[in-house]
Amino acid sequence: MEHQRCYIYSPTEPEERARKRQRTSKPHFQAQLPERLQTFRDMWSHQEERIQETLEDADSSTQEAIANFVSASSQDTEDLSLAIPTALIILGPSIASHGPFFERLGRRIKHDTNNIYVVLTSGESPNLKTLLKNLIKKVTSRVDDDDDDDEMRRPLATSRNGPKLLDFDLGHLQEWQKRNRAQNIVLAIQDSNAFDASVLIELVDLLHSWLDRLPFVLLVGIATSAENLEDRLAGKTLRYLQGQKFDVTQPDEIIEKLFSATVARPDARLRIGPNISQRILKRQRDHVQNVQDFVDALKYAYMSHFYANQMSIFLKDGISFEDLSSDDVEVARTLPSFRSRVEQLLDESRVQEVRKLLDDDYHTFRVLTEAIASGQNALSSLNAAATILSRVRQALQMSPEVMCSTIWTRAAAGEIIGSPFLRETMLLVRRVPSDKFAQLLNALEHSEGDFVIDPRPYKQELEQLLEQNPDSTPLRTQHDVRNDSVRTTVVAQKVLLSKHKAALSKQDKAYSELVGRFHDEMECFFSSAFINPQTLLLSEVLIYDLKSPHTEVFQPKPRYAIERALALPHDYLGCDCCSGVAGKGEGSALSGTQPASAILYQMYLESGALINVSDLWSAFHAIAGEGEEEEDGESKTMQRGLAELKYLGLVKPSRKKTDHIAKTMWKGL
Amino acid sequence: MLPDEVLLQLNRDFPCRESQIHQLAALYSQTLPSPSLLVAHGLTATAKSTLVRAFLARSSLPHAIVNCRECITGRHLLEHTVAACLATVEAYYDETLDKRPFARTDSLSMLAVNLGKLLDGRDKFVLVLDGVDRLREPMPTLMSALGRFGEVIPNLALVLVTTLPVRNLHHPGTPHLHFLPYSRADLLEILGQKPPPIFLTPPSAEQYSDYTPELAAEDDAWLWNRFLGAVWDSLSKHTGRDLISFRNTATRLWRPFVEPVISGQFGTRDFSRLMVNRRHLFQLEDSVLDRIMPAAPTSTNFILSKPTTAPGKPLPLTKKKTLAYDLPYYTTVLLIAAYLASYNPPRTDVTYFMKHTDKRKNRRHRTASTKTATSATAVTKTKSRKIPRHLLTPSPFPLDRLLAVFRSLVDGRVPQVADVGTQIATLTSLRLLTRVGAQGSGAGDVLEAGARWRVSFGWEYARSLGRVVDIEVGEYLVGGVD
Ligand SMILES: Nc1ncnc2c1ncn2[C@@H]1O[C@H](COP(=O)(O)OP(=O)(O)O)[C@@H](O)[C@H]1O
Ligand SMILES: [Mg+2]
Repeated sequence: MEHQRCYIYSPTEPEERARKRQRTSKPHFQAQLPERLQTFRDMWSHQEERIQETLEDADSSTQEAIANFVSASSQDTEDLSLAIPTALIILGPSIASHGPFFERLGRRIKHDTNNIYVVLTSGESPNLKTLLKNLIKKVTSRVDDDDDDDEMRRPLATSRNGPKLLDFDLGHLQEWQKRNRAQNIVLAIQDSNAFDASVLIELVDLLHSWLDRLPFVLLVGIATSAENLEDRLAGKTLRYLQGQKFDVTQPDEIIEKLFSATVARPDARLRIGPNISQRILKRQRDHVQNVQDFVDALKYAYMSHFYANQMSIFLKDGISFEDLSSDDVEVARTLPSFRSRVEQLLDESRVQEVRKLLDDDYHTFRVLTEAIASGQNALSSLNAAATILSRVRQALQMSPEVMCSTIWTRAAAGEIIGSPFLRETMLLVRRVPSDKFAQLLNALEHSEGDFVIDPRPYKQELEQLLEQNPDSTPLRTQHDVRNDSVRTTVVAQKVLLSKHKAALSKQDKAYSELVGRFHDEMECFFSSAFINPQTLLLSEVLIYDLKSPHTEVFQPKPRYAIERALALPHDYLGCDCCSGVAGKGEGSALSGTQPASAILYQMYLESGALINVSDLWSAFHAIAGEGEEEEDGESKTMQRGLAELKYLGLVKPSRKKTDHIAKTMWKGL
Repeated sequence: MLPDEVLLQLNRDFPCRESQIHQLAALYSQTLPSPSLLVAHGLTATAKSTLVRAFLARSSLPHAIVNCRECITGRHLLEHTVAACLATVEAYYDETLDKRPFARTDSLSMLAVNLGKLLDGRDKFVLVLDGVDRLREPMPTLMSALGRFGEVIPNLALVLVTTLPVRNLHHPGTPHLHFLPYSRADLLEILGQKPPPIFLTPPSAEQYSDYTPELAAEDDAWLWNRFLGAVWDSLSKHTGRDLISFRNTATRLWRPFVEPVISGQFGTRDFSRLMVNRRHLFQLEDSVLDRIMPAAPTSTNFILSKPTTAPGKPLPLTKKKTLAYDLPYYTTVLLIAAYLASYNPPRTDVTYFMKHTDKRKNRRHRTASTKTATSATAVTKTKSRKIPRHLLTPSPFPLDRLLAVFRSLVDGRVPQVADVGTQIATLTSLRLLTRVGAQGSGAGDVLEAGARWRVSFGWEYARSLGRVVDIEVGEYLVGGVD
C-alpha cells in the first residue's frame, strides 16, 4: 500500500459543471428577524433565571454542609493522629458541572470565614511540581500586598539576597500564612479521577508533612465513588486523610427539577413539545446526564423556533397588526392547524366565517392572536393537570413510580386522557382513606401555580369530620375494598362467594360524600384540561416540537454517516452513471463508475480481518478496469482510495503478514 | 554528656529507646568530638525522627534538621539545607550574616562549598537529613558525596536518617545507629502509657459515688493493656506491625470494644467475657484498613440487637450501596462491556456474544463439560488449577471489540450516535478506562482507530454495575464467577 511514497495525481476534469440557478427574487425568509430575536431573548432570560435558581437551590444544602465542615475543621487541631481534614464530594459523572459547583462552593467558603480557597484541576497538574507552582501562585496572588511592606515583614532568612525559595517550595505559603493568618487553606481538587494517582499520593504526603505549619483542608471532587478514590490511593496515604463524604443531588433529580422549572413551568409562553422533551430526557438517562447539556438542548429549541420560524412573531408580547409583514397572515393560512380549523368550520357549514378568515387579513389576525392567548391558557391548564396528577400519585404513593416529566410528556402528547393510567389513579382517589386524603390535600396546597381546585374547603370539612370520629382508625369511603367482605356460603355443595358491603358508619358516609365530591371535581378538571395540544389552532407556533435540527445537532451519527456514504455513494452523488446499478438492495451495488474508495469499501466489508492487497487489486481491477492501457491510472485511483480508507481509520498497515493490511473497523458498530 | 535529668526525661518520653538515647548522648556532646557522619536507620515508626529531634533540641548544640519529605527535587534539598543552616547559625550566634554568597546552591559541590564557608571558624554543627533515602528526585551521587562531606568540612556532624543501612557511602568505618523494631512487650509498654478513657462522660456521681477519677484511670489502664495484647495477638501481629498501625487499629477498635461496659452489660474488669462478646471485632479486617471516612458504626448496633446469637459477619452495607454511582444507562453497559472485553479472550467472543446463540445455555454447557472432564481425569488435572480470570490483570482491547460486546449486551438496537464515543472519552478521563499503547497519551484523537483500552476497575465494581442494569456479569465471564 505504501510502496510509492508520492505520485502525481491529476483528476479528470468533469465535463461540465452544473450551472447555478440564478435567484430571481429575494424571499423574505428573515422577515422581522430583530423582533423575533428580541422575543427570544426576553423569554430565554426568564428561563435562564429559573435555571440558575434551580441549580443553586439544588446544591445549597450540600454546600452548606461542606462549608460547615471546613469551618469546623479549624477547631479540632488537637487530634492525636494528625490528619488532613478531607471532604470527599461525590459529584457524579457529569464532569462539565464540576467546575461550576466548585465555583459556587468557593464563593460560599470565602464568604463565610477567613479562608483561602484554591481550585486545582487535573489539566494544570500533570506532575507535582507544576501543581505546587500553580497552588502557590493562586494562593499568594489572592491578597495583593505592597511589595515594600512585604520586604519589611519578611523574615531574615529569605531576604532578597539570601537563598531564594524555589518556586515550588511550600515555604512561600508559609510566609504568606505568616502575614495573612488564614484560618484554613482550602484546596479543592476538582476532578480527582483525572489526576494521576501518583501525583495525588505525593501531594497528600507533602501536605501532611506541612500540616503542623499550614492549616490545609482538602476538598476532593469525585465522579465515581469514595471507595474508588480510596482504592487508588495507597494505604499509607489514606492514613494522612480524615474526613467525611458529601453527596450532591443526584443528576437525575436535578434534571427533573430543571424540567419542572423550565419546560413544565406554568407560565411558559413557548412550549417544548413531547417529542423533543422525550428525546432530551432519554438522552440524559441513557447517555450524558449533564445539566449543561439539558440547558443547551432547551436553548437550542428556543433558538430554532424563533430564528427559523417566521410565525413565531405571533408570540411577541402585545403584538399589533402593524408589526406583521404583508405575507405573515398569508403564511399563517397555510399552517395545518389553520387548515383543519377551516375544514372544521366548513363541516359546520359556517361558510361566511371561512370566507372572512380567508379574505380579511385583519380579522384573521384578530382570530390568530386570540388563538395564541387561549392556546397558552389551554397549555397552562394541561401543564397544571399533569403536575397535579403527578402530585396525586406521589401523595398516594402509587407504584410504579412515574416521574413527573414522564407524565408531562405523555400529557403533552395527548395520551393521558382516557388512558388506564389516569383511570387507575382516579379509582384510587375515590377510595382513599382519610389519613392519606389529608396528605393529598396538603400536597396540593403546598404547590404553587394557579390550581383550579382549591383544597382548603375540603381540608376544613375533613378536619371537622375527623374531630367527630370516635376512634383513631382512618375513615373509609364506600368504595374502599376493606369495606367489602367476602362471604362464603355452601349451597347445594357449591361454594358461593358473595361480596358484601359492610354497613357504613355515619362518619364514613359523610366522608365518602366528601371524597366523592373531590373526585368529581378533579375528574371534571382533568377531562377539560387533558386535551390534545395538536388540535389547538396555531399549535405550530405555540409548541416547538421538530425532531430534525435537534437530533442533528445533539445526536449526530458520524460513523453511520461515513459508512452509509461509502456503501451507497449514489445517494449522495446523485449522478446518472451509478444510478442504474445501485438500484435495489444494499451491497450488490458495485460498479466501475463509483468512487474508488466506495468500491474498495464494498470489498473491505466482505473480507476478513487481514486483507491481501494484491487480491484487492485484482478484484478492484476487475470492476473498475476498462482496458489494459489504463492500468497505471487505475492503480493510482486505487492507491488514493486505500489512502482514504486509511485516513478514515478503516485500515492500517499490518506487520503480521506481508502484503496485507489489517481491518480495524466493522460496519454497524 | 547531657545532664542526667534531661536523659531521664527523654527516657520517660521514649520508653524502650534507652540504648539509642544513650548512644546519641555519647556521640553528640558539647565537649567531645562527634563523628563526621552517622547513619541512624530503622523501620518506620521507631522514633527515629522524633527522638533525634527531641534529643538535639535539648542538647543545646547548633543543629539544623531537613525533612527530605518536603523536598521536591534534589536541587530543592540543596537550597533548603543551606537556608536551614543559615537560619540556625543566625539564631544560634545571634548575628546577621551577609547572605549574598549563599544565594545559589545548584550542585552537591556547591553545597559543600557553601556549608564550609558558613561553618568556617565556628563550633561543631549538627546537620540532620531526615529520610534521605526517600528523596523524590535524588541526584545519583548524593549518598557518596554526603559520605565525603566530613573530609571537607571538619566541624560538620552529619546525621542521615534512613530506613535501611546505607551501603554506598564508600566509607568503611561509618558509625550506624540502629533503631530496632519494637517487640510485643515494647509496643505494649509504649502504648500502655496513655490509656484512653472507657467512659467519655463519667458515670453519674450520685449513683456511683465511690467511682473516683483515680479508680477510673486505674480501670482504663488495666483494660487498655489487656485489650492491646488481644489486638496485637489477633490482628496487628499479622499485619501492620509498626507502632502507628498498631495504635490506629487499637484506637479504632477501642470504642466498640468498651461499648458493653458503658451500657452496663459487663463490669470494667470482665475482660474475658468482654472478649467473648466482642470477638467479632477481632475477626474482621475492617479495623486494620485505613479509611478516609470513619467506618460507620453499623456493626455495633447490629450486634447489640441480637447479642445471644453468634455474631456473624456484619455486612458492610454502606460500602455496597455507594460502590456504583448512578451512571447513565448506556455508560454503565459500556463499562461492563469494557470489563468483559478486558477479561475474556477474544476468541471466546463468538460463544458468549453471538446474538443468535443463547448465551447462558452456552456457558452452562461449557462449564458442565469441563467439569465432567476434570472429574474423569481428576487425579492428573487437579495440579494445573487455573487462576480465576477476574483475578488476572486486564488485557487491552481495541475500540471495535468494545462496541461489539456493548451492542450484544444491550437489548434492541442502539443508534450509532456520537454520544457513545463521548461516553468512552468521558470514561477515559475519569480513568475508569485507560488508554494503552504508544500513540502519545493525551495527544491526538481519543477515539483513534487502532488505539487500545483496558479497564482500571475490579470485579466488585463490575458486578455492582451489572446489578444496576440487570446484567449478571459473571455469566458472561469466561470461566464464570459465583
Ligand atoms: N518509644 C516511643 N515512645 C513514645 N512514642 C514513640 C516511640 N516510638 C515511636 N513513637 C511515636 O511514633 C510516632 C512515629 O515516630 P517517628 O519518629 O516519626 O518514626 P520514624 O521517623 O522512625 O518513622 C511518633 O508519634 C512517636 O511519638
Ligand atoms: Mg521519620
